[in-house]
Amino acid sequence: MERDEAELISRCQKGNQEALKQIFDLYNKKVYRIAYGVLRHREEALDIVQEVFIKLFRSIKNFKGESRLSTYLYRMAVNTAIDHMRKIRKPALSSLEGEEGFQPAEGPEKGPDRIFLYKELEEKVNEALGKIPADQRMALVLREVEGLSYQEIADSMKCSIGTVMSRLHYGRKKMQDLLKGYVTQETEE
Amino acid sequence: MKESCSGELLERFFDGEVTEGERSLVEGHLSYCRTCQHALKSMEGLRHLIKAPVDEVDEKENLYWVWQRIEREIQSREKPPWKEIVWHWLDVTSMLRKRVWVPAAAAIVAILLALAPSLLKKTPSSSDLSVVEYVESQSYNVMVYESEKENVTVIWLLESPEMEGAPQS
Repeated sequence: MERDEAELISRCQKGNQEALKQIFDLYNKKVYRIAYGVLRHREEALDIVQEVFIKLFRSIKNFKGESRLSTYLYRMAVNTAIDHMRKIRKPALSSLEGEEGFQPAEGPEKGPDRIFLYKELEEKVNEALGKIPADQRMALVLREVEGLSYQEIADSMKCSIGTVMSRLHYGRKKMQDLLKGYVTQETEE
Repeated sequence: MKESCSGELLERFFDGEVTEGERSLVEGHLSYCRTCQHALKSMEGLRHLIKAPVDEVDEKENLYWVWQRIEREIQSREKPPWKEIVWHWLDVTSMLRKRVWVPAAAAIVAILLALAPSLLKKTPSSSDLSVVEYVESQSYNVMVYESEKENVTVIWLLESPEMEGAPQS
């Protein structure tokens, strides 16, 4: 696998688009999940996927193989998504304070009311994610959505493992505060 | 019991970043500590809230058309506009930078000097011909031209002007 990946990279470095296509097939979903996890917006996440792979094709000549290709791509996805957030993103729409009540649904398949509640909860989560600092949000997405290890997150975010733990800790704490009631009710079920 | 709670260790346990010894320790602690049980469930709930919408969208999404967009974008960037191509050809700054213009200019001058004699050489023309003899008579005038270089002699026989209007005898 490692050898195949090295060969793919080498071909891509020579400008072979077919090799880039193979890299795209391997990693597009992961990049999309990170981008969507951070931005919570389908079209914007798709734009990030496009941008990341074009950037990869342009910059792969500088890839020395010091890290894994996946880490290199995650880092590009993280940086591109953060840049995008800084440039384009609007502030969160409303506050969550004082809103409590329903139990999170397992999915939208339990009828129209449940779909509505599910979508509403999703919005609350998105708003809460929008309120925490970008680096904490990124660490949370890489951990909770992609299940990356502390070391992989540290490599992707170019920071120490201690910083990753700190970002995860404070990110979780703030999210739990912002989603008070929703998280608790779910966990009590 | 509460004194032995460690939020940091519990968080690492939740993230799967503990040693075997630490795992056993936390599992033992969780069997009786309701505070840590609640904290763990709270983290699980948060993970579900963050991850579930991504899983849902990801399942539906087909990114093949994104690849088509990427391919088009790469190809369009690889073909520079015609203005850039022309400018690139006209751009001599790189040549000047490499100082190739010194030998290039010397070569051009040498070629011009070599070709100069043949370029300046006079080509033969009718002006080289000179009138050698001109004979007038009542009926015809004769003009003899002779070329100096190529030994060519041209004889012109001209009708006399008087003959043109005179009645034929």
